[in-house]
Amino acid sequence: MRGPRATVERLDQPSAYFNSRNKRRRFDKEQRDGDDDTNMQNDQPEEDPLKDATTLYVGNLSFYTTEEQVYELFSKCGEIKRLVMGLDRFNKTPCGFCFVEYYTHQDALDCMKYIGGTKLDERIIRTDLDPGFTEGRQYGRGKSGGQVRDEYREDFDEGRGGLGRAIQPPRSRDRETRDFDDDPYGRLK
Amino acid sequence: MADYDRRGGGGGGSSYNPKKRRYRDDDEHDRRAPRRRFDAPPHVRVRKQLVAIAENPMRPWHEEVQAIATLFTDNWDDELLRANFVDLVLQLAVEQPLKTPFVAAVVLVANTARHEVVDLLLVKLAALVQGKIGAGEWREAKLYLKLLACLQGCLEGEGVFPVLEELFARAVDLQTASSEDTIGTEIVKIILLTLPYIMVAAPGQWVQKAVDLMEKTEIIASEPQTLQALIEPYQPEAGEENQPQPQSLIGLLQSQLQNEANNGWALSCLPRPWEFPIGEVEQRSKLDDAPKHALPTITIPEAVVAGPRPLFPEIYLSVYAGQDVESVPPLTNIAASLIRDALLDTINVLHFNRNITARHLIDLDCYFSPRTFAARATPFDKLRDIEPPKSTWKPEDVAVDAVFSQLFQLPTPEQKLVYYHSVLTEACKLAPAAIAPSLGRAIRHLYRNTPRLDLELASRFMDWFAHHLSNFGFTWKWTEWVDDVYLPDAHPRKAFIAGALDKEIRLSFAQRIKNTLPEPYKAMISPAKEKDMPDFKFANDDTPFAAEGREIAGLLKRKAEDEEIDAVIERIQSQAIDREMDALMASTDVFVTCVLHVGSKSLSHVLAAIERTKDRLADAGAASDAARSQIISATMEYWSAHPGVALSIIEKLLNYSILTPETVINWALLDQHGGARGETLSLAHVYEMVFNTVIKVTGRVRQLVAKPALAAEDEDEIKAMRALFAAIEDALASWAAGTKDEMMETAEGEADTDADRLVRAWGARWLRVFRRRAAIEEAFLVEAEKERARRAQAAAERQAEVGEEGLGNGEAEAEVTAGLTQPMDAEGEEGA
Repeated sequence: MRGPRATVERLDQPSAYFNSRNKRRRFDKEQRDGDDDTNMQNDQPEEDPLKDATTLYVGNLSFYTTEEQVYELFSKCGEIKRLVMGLDRFNKTPCGFCFVEYYTHQDALDCMKYIGGTKLDERIIRTDLDPGFTEGRQYGRGKSGGQVRDEYREDFDEGRGGLGRAIQPPRSRDRETRDFDDDPYGRLK
Repeated sequence: MADYDRRGGGGGGSSYNPKKRRYRDDDEHDRRAPRRRFDAPPHVRVRKQLVAIAENPMRPWHEEVQAIATLFTDNWDDELLRANFVDLVLQLAVEQPLKTPFVAAVVLVANTARHEVVDLLLVKLAALVQGKIGAGEWREAKLYLKLLACLQGCLEGEGVFPVLEELFARAVDLQTASSEDTIGTEIVKIILLTLPYIMVAAPGQWVQKAVDLMEKTEIIASEPQTLQALIEPYQPEAGEENQPQPQSLIGLLQSQLQNEANNGWALSCLPRPWEFPIGEVEQRSKLDDAPKHALPTITIPEAVVAGPRPLFPEIYLSVYAGQDVESVPPLTNIAASLIRDALLDTINVLHFNRNITARHLIDLDCYFSPRTFAARATPFDKLRDIEPPKSTWKPEDVAVDAVFSQLFQLPTPEQKLVYYHSVLTEACKLAPAAIAPSLGRAIRHLYRNTPRLDLELASRFMDWFAHHLSNFGFTWKWTEWVDDVYLPDAHPRKAFIAGALDKEIRLSFAQRIKNTLPEPYKAMISPAKEKDMPDFKFANDDTPFAAEGREIAGLLKRKAEDEEIDAVIERIQSQAIDREMDALMASTDVFVTCVLHVGSKSLSHVLAAIERTKDRLADAGAASDAARSQIISATMEYWSAHPGVALSIIEKLLNYSILTPETVINWALLDQHGGARGETLSLAHVYEMVFNTVIKVTGRVRQLVAKPALAAEDEDEIKAMRALFAAIEDALASWAAGTKDEMMETAEGEADTDADRLVRAWGARWLRVFRRRAAIEEAFLVEAEKERARRAQAAAERQAEVGEEGLGNGEAEAEVTAGLTQPMDAEGEEGA
């Protein structure tokens, strides 16, 4: 990796989440490949997909946090190339995450170090290096359209629609955070 | 006090954990046989203990040092341990510099049992010192020399002195060769900062040597440095003679050391963990009799290089200067420089873990000799009650001061500004009761001095202040500044409040911020700021071209064909001519306003809208300077309640080359937007817009000149940058001198009004910022040219060596591309 292990842990490493997902994926692949000859290739160290990552996944945002707020904070680490807000799959309203893409890998690492774990809109936000945004990833993957973590959440989180959607009474679910028209959601270029 | 309780995690975990011990006691009362303890292998334990050395204030240093040294020497046969130990010592020296004396003490004690370890270490250490000096990595060179200095007691002959003398010889060469040299002063700084560690490591032995060396450094250290006037944190004010003079770091060091020399080198703040209490007779004599080692030769290259970071003179800044009780070391005391230096290294090297940086800052009293500081979290008022021989230095103030000195470092600190924000945030989270009051006093000091603070720093202060508050529920004692709300808008303190509130709102929303403010401030947040979307002026029929505006907005919304829009634009232009208006300006204003309105929902929306209409916008802009300027006017007007959004949009318009940097500068400094008479210079967002634009241009030029060779287009960009600076200079100089036409008009016959005085002061502050920027970019260009020449020569030499096989060419190219990763430095984020 980056030479000898530092005497102090680094904050610009990918999270355990990314690593475990990646490992699982690699493991599945190996299983599938079985004892095929192609397995030989796996002996070579695999290219780190985050080696030059310029994108960050940003989590634990309030549903009410706007692009402008994200922009204001994240610009402190460098000019933002693109910002993709995470949206509820059905309502097309913000559902508490986004992708921030910088022009350089260094800016993304600095963001991990200086912004991840600090507050935006009075919530501690989480950042994670990401191999890059692909179309479709802007939508929540939970059953009701939001993020999976907001399905069964038992604590009342005002900034994220109260209780988990799967356990809240059906009526309150309709409350919309902001009205987005049916325009295809424009995006930073 | 609570800070003492939460330990561990400091530098990777401490060895002391009372909780665990209690559980073990419980176990013994049990009938069960105690569970067999698993001991980690020695190399793991040594690493863990060495990394966390000195973190536990309850443990006497000599005990801890001896325990680690013994654990190490007892397991000397463990090869893994032997190999790791030396590397870990070297790594700690550059990663956790506060611990260097303690780590050195472990080595010194280990030397009494296994003297080979010192030789193993010295071989690597000497090579590193030489390598870092050769590469111009001056901080690392300094940190390794510091470790070496702490080992002076076990070195043969004169130890570190010959290295320092050789270094000094280089500094002299450099200074004689050029009066603008910065490497020589950097070298002298390193020598002066290394000296005290030698003096405590081998007390009493080297007094004459030290005096000789300092006699030599005197000339360089006391010489005023070029560029120093540009990087002083306060605006020099005409007519005020008795301001405290800013102190060059190196001049200060020289005089502080002189004091210390006159004082018998007491150096009372530095820890001496290698000293054992009088009672430990055996250990003391062992240390005295331990074998001495020859320092392997360290060759200093004939030609030293500036290295990867541009060097500038440094100024000693304290936000706690001039208090009635000394809460930080005074400028006359060497402790001021030594503690600051160790903290700055810690802060800047630990950029990859702000939590640990904050931990080190809060624990800083662990790493200096006992009684250097007052007890942690002593309230400032209580410092007065401390009896004289005891220290009144507040560790929190010293820590906060160090971070602010970086945040306010000119031209730029080593790391991005937001890093220093994050360190202060974490420190505040770790020990709120201790840090928050210190921050509060720093804020008050800076606020009071805002009018004379360099404008770039005032802007950094504002940006930090708003960002910091956003992490702590936006709470601030606004009541204490309430009188300033009634100052004129162009007063620097009122302008600070307005700018800070705008930045707070950008990170949050108007209603939220309004709720944090006392009544008088609320008027500063206009109702327009509380609206989700700005009003569309063409919704009102009284606005000229209202119908056309609504029509274009409608067409844009349904993504109509260009021809349909053309028709409306033509109609606007012909009507404008009838009304004797500038046709192009009128149609540009309507069109841009409509694009902004259609994209008013979010930045994504507006950027998508701009993307769809970028050709038309570019054509409109290309038509004339006035039309380009109108694009900015329309944007600033539409988003006047939220200038942050306007600035983001303008940034993207610059990227699309719809706007040019000159447009932005002219709009901000020359055009009569809204008939203002220079008061706009006091608006934080106008400064931010110009500053960001300049940074964008200079950042681009820096990237270009880092290439191996310059193309004609690159030269053009350099020329354009110079022209831009010249334009800024022209515009600002007349504001600063009060010779601007708009100012002259009113000044005639009337006495010099307060308003005019304020505008002149703003002009002068702006001017200073951009003159400095221009000077720094010129210096960068000179350095880049030297670097290109050096590389070309190196490549030519290599080619000559390889012969004419053409092999050398490829190699040279590889080196050149590797060098390309260096140029863009931490510039872009400023004032973002």
